[in-house]
Amino acid sequence: MNCRECVEHLYEFLDRELTPELERELREHLEDCPPCGEQFDFEELFLKFLRARCRAQGAPAELKRRVLRELFGE
Amino acid sequence: MAQTPSPDVSPPVDEKRVSFEREALVHLDVLYRVALRLTSNPSDADDLVQETMLKAYRAWDQYEKGTNAKAWLLTILRHAFINEYRRKIRHPESVDLDAIEPYAVFSEVQDEDPQGAFFDRIVDDEVLRAIDQLPEAFRETLVLSDVEGMSYQEIAGILQVPVGTVKSRLFRARQLLQAKLYDYAVEMGYIKGSPA
Repeated sequence: MNCRECVEHLYEFLDRELTPELERELREHLEDCPPCGEQFDFEELFLKFLRARCRAQGAPAELKRRVLRELFGE
Repeated sequence: MAQTPSPDVSPPVDEKRVSFEREALVHLDVLYRVALRLTSNPSDADDLVQETMLKAYRAWDQYEKGTNAKAWLLTILRHAFINEYRRKIRHPESVDLDAIEPYAVFSEVQDEDPQGAFFDRIVDDEVLRAIDQLPEAFRETLVLSDVEGMSYQEIAGILQVPVGTVKSRLFRARQLLQAKLYDYAVEMGYIKGSPA
């Protein structure tokens, strides 16, 4: 696997969506290629950051009450 | 003296309700987050979730219990959004997704901030605002994957597109979002850089 292919598949790797064969090739490339390794760290951090920033929000309590009222007449 | 039958004190168990509460209502937060990103408006998001739950409850007999309730509910939510809300609240987008060039922020920051420390300074609201600026097809894919952690296969099922489309939209959505956040970080002085 070369650098271009590695970067192309980086997100699929982080999402655990690669075939075992490609995953092995990508791992091997990352071990031998510090610049791709750095980009891997950067993209991994970005995805964690994104999740952390967006997950805090939940349905408002009033909406929960409204749904229960509508469904079960409570 | 004749004994009267003892009254049944426990109310009848409403099985439909019990299973709906257990499998569907637990996903209310997920539905709300996705609805909010689709509509960009808390009041419309409330209505969309309410509508989705009503439709889901009515169709609950058609749902195969114990399978993927979250994906099933999100499919209903998305249909409701397309059919009843999109036309009302957003003008149809005329964005040529293929014309959006991939842009690697990493190559811009690798010398100054390869660890991406500038991300840490960007607050929740700013991230959500940047997501809301993405084209709808990118936004919904990114939210299902990066916020709700769904698999490519699940997302493909909900959006009714091939897995390859999910993959390419996600790739470009993430790059576009990074570019927006990077621009913002430069503007705010969190990182020197040059605007993307």
